Amino acid sequence: MKTNDFAKLHPVILFTYFTAVILFSMFFMHPVFLAISFFCGFLWAVSLAPRETLRFTLKCILPLAVLMTVINPMINHAGLTVLLYVNDRPITLEACAYGAASAAMFSSVLLWFSCSNRIMTAEKFISLFGRAAPSFSLLLSMVMRFVPRFKAQTRAIAEAQDGLGRGVDSGSLPTRAKNGMKILSILTTWALENGVITADSMRARGYGLPGRGRFQIYRFDSRDKWMLTILSALIFAVLFGFIKGENSIRYFPFLSLPPFSPFSFFLYICYFLLCSYPMLFNAVCEVKYHGGF
Amino acid sequence: MAVFKLEDFSFTYAGETNPALHDISFSVTEGEFLLLCGLSGCGKTTLLRQLKPAIAPRGRRTGEILFNGQPLRLAPPRSQAAEIGYVMQSPEEQAVTDKVWHELAFGLENLGLESRAIRLRTAEMASFFGIQDWFERDVSSLSGGQKQLLNLAAVMAMQPKVLLLDEPTSQLDPIAAADFLAAVKKINVELGVAVMMVEQRLQEVFPLADRVAVMDRGAILIDAAPRNAGLKLMQTHHPMARALPSAMQIAGALGGDSPLPLTVREGRRWLRGFLRDGAPAREKPEQESKEEGEPAVLMKDCWFAYEKNGTDIIRDLSLRIPKQKLFCILGGNGTGKTTALRLMAGLQKPYRGKIRVSGKVAVLPQNPQTLFLKSTLAADLADMLGFAENRDAKVKEIAELTELTALLGRHPYDLSGGEQQRAALAKVLLTQPDLLLMDEPTKGLDAHFKIRFSEILRTLMRRGVSIVMVSHDIEFCAENADLCALFFNGNVAAQGRACPFFAGNSFYTTAANRISREWFAQAVTNGDVVEQCEKIQG
Repeated sequence: MKTNDFAKLHPVILFTYFTAVILFSMFFMHPVFLAISFFCGFLWAVSLAPRETLRFTLKCILPLAVLMTVINPMINHAGLTVLLYVNDRPITLEACAYGAASAAMFSSVLLWFSCSNRIMTAEKFISLFGRAAPSFSLLLSMVMRFVPRFKAQTRAIAEAQDGLGRGVDSGSLPTRAKNGMKILSILTTWALENGVITADSMRARGYGLPGRGRFQIYRFDSRDKWMLTILSALIFAVLFGFIKGENSIRYFPFLSLPPFSPFSFFLYICYFLLCSYPMLFNAVCEVKYHGGF
Repeated sequence: MAVFKLEDFSFTYAGETNPALHDISFSVTEGEFLLLCGLSGCGKTTLLRQLKPAIAPRGRRTGEILFNGQPLRLAPPRSQAAEIGYVMQSPEEQAVTDKVWHELAFGLENLGLESRAIRLRTAEMASFFGIQDWFERDVSSLSGGQKQLLNLAAVMAMQPKVLLLDEPTSQLDPIAAADFLAAVKKINVELGVAVMMVEQRLQEVFPLADRVAVMDRGAILIDAAPRNAGLKLMQTHHPMARALPSAMQIAGALGGDSPLPLTVREGRRWLRGFLRDGAPAREKPEQESKEEGEPAVLMKDCWFAYEKNGTDIIRDLSLRIPKQKLFCILGGNGTGKTTALRLMAGLQKPYRGKIRVSGKVAVLPQNPQTLFLKSTLAADLADMLGFAENRDAKVKEIAELTELTALLGRHPYDLSGGEQQRAALAKVLLTQPDLLLMDEPTKGLDAHFKIRFSEILRTLMRRGVSIVMVSHDIEFCAENADLCALFFNGNVAAQGRACPFFAGNSFYTTAANRISREWFAQAVTNGDVVEQCEKIQG
């Protein structure tokens, strides 16, 4: 995929989308729903950042998933279908299934979060909260400004101390710890001192005058309106199915799935459309605006 | 009409008895460019802040400040915020938000403008300053010079009538400073905004200013056109005269009368007239003599990159730095100067090549604040010595050398820029180094303290310390260095004793040399030119 049009949608849509998908992924333990969420999440994460996703999946998600699948039946002995006994304790089919399902849930949530981190930049979050709490959004923006400076200053101080032969890398352990503490304490002073200058700069530019306005860099256009409508329709359909109990599942004492019906089939399609929404949207945009693939 | 008019204005800080400003009367007229200068601690910043009530320090005021003919204290806060723009020294701390567009919009948001109006004004300002490409960038990804330009643009977006600038270029390198000053001049000329600027770089700002006010101990000493102000400074032998443009200093020392030359171009013309009769033929520069003896630092075929497959910052660098000398490393940004210093300090290791450093090394970092750890200067210095026996005596001795005795009880962060630099030097010296490495030590120092600083360096070298400093300050290096090296692209492009080094460069050299190179091969400092001229005159 060449361009990422989904990321250009209004932050409100993005936020709604990720909140819905991540919450659904967390609570729907139905195997079909789990599979859809995992499949779409993985595919999208790969299309966003192939190398990082594969590395993240192999190094982090896979070992965790295996661990969860293996450990759950070892410690959870509920369930009626006993497969075998280990140390006189029953290993049940239900516990195995539950372990696998939790692992799938956990993995897809992680994948969705990795997508969300790439799309929902801090800037978009800030603009989002700006509506509800303007001062909070300014605070967030200032924090985002401060964090890199704080890091840089920490590095500069550590290096300056190193240049005097009292860095955190030299001397015995207690000395090093003491040097580290000193750096931490002076960082506080530095932050407070320089905060005074920032405060002056804010006051000099009229901060604190009544009736503060807000600059919206994102515009909610007609495309956003349409996309939010479609998105809401999908979310409501899935929620309706949830209320009807279509995507609930019982693992203990024995596995019980709601019966398949045309309605459940309809729900699967809705959920699939919801989860692959960004990819479908990008594909449509690719054809419409950028002249095909 | 006067934008600002001060009548017998005095100010005393809360809790003090002596006034910081007394009996100040002057005015800034519409569209004027006023330069305010003076030694550190003379009250320049205090005065400038009085003109911006939102950040004026607390204290007792007498007399009146008029803004557009009305008392400033009665001006509504909204118009004070918008119409009086204020840019401070530090590019870093002034930027409030994380994104360039948000920073540009910040002041306008405070004024309560609509989103659409803000969009137009930020777009206008970004285009005026040619920074539209940065619009979506993080503020932290900008360089110091770019940040300061952004701070200026953010203030200008509020459409002020007058711009107050407090040493805005003191933290910038010469190229970024020139860009910034050009932007200020553009605002002044093209938008007609009055400018009142406090600055140490008189060499660059004097030719831009319409009027110069010199402050001394809280009062205005001189208030005149630049040429007259310079003449008066030299006639009264004021310490600030040392900071004047080279052309002016040379002409003044040779008994020139008003109008004195301001720029290199005018200086040449003036010198041509002065030397009309006895212009000597230009002699050849001296030949280099080879350096002998045990070096303080020896670098051989060094290569260095910060990342494994990254670009090489240092390429095939070989350097021999002799003992007990002041070795200056000059060059543009990103040429590897600071990295070379870090290699010498052992903070980084070259991936290829050898470095040999004899004796103990200490580094004076660019930002002196990074050295201080304690809440008083005395404690901070004593901390360096651990539990040594004659700790207090040693602290006292070093404080005397760096003239800090009176300041020992203060918090290091409460000291002025020059004082912090001295305190940092004192701290570094307590490690009793054989080799002192300094990164931009003259940044933000005034003319007077630069002289003191060079005296301290001389004392240290007599005591056996070798000094390497990285600097952008060509004038300081020409006056004080024994040896100079010009860095380019991770390597030394030229190297030699200070005088022939600068005389051999045609662009990267002092103003005095650029003025006089047609006639004198060996004149690098203002003093050199004056001396040569006097020799000819007999």
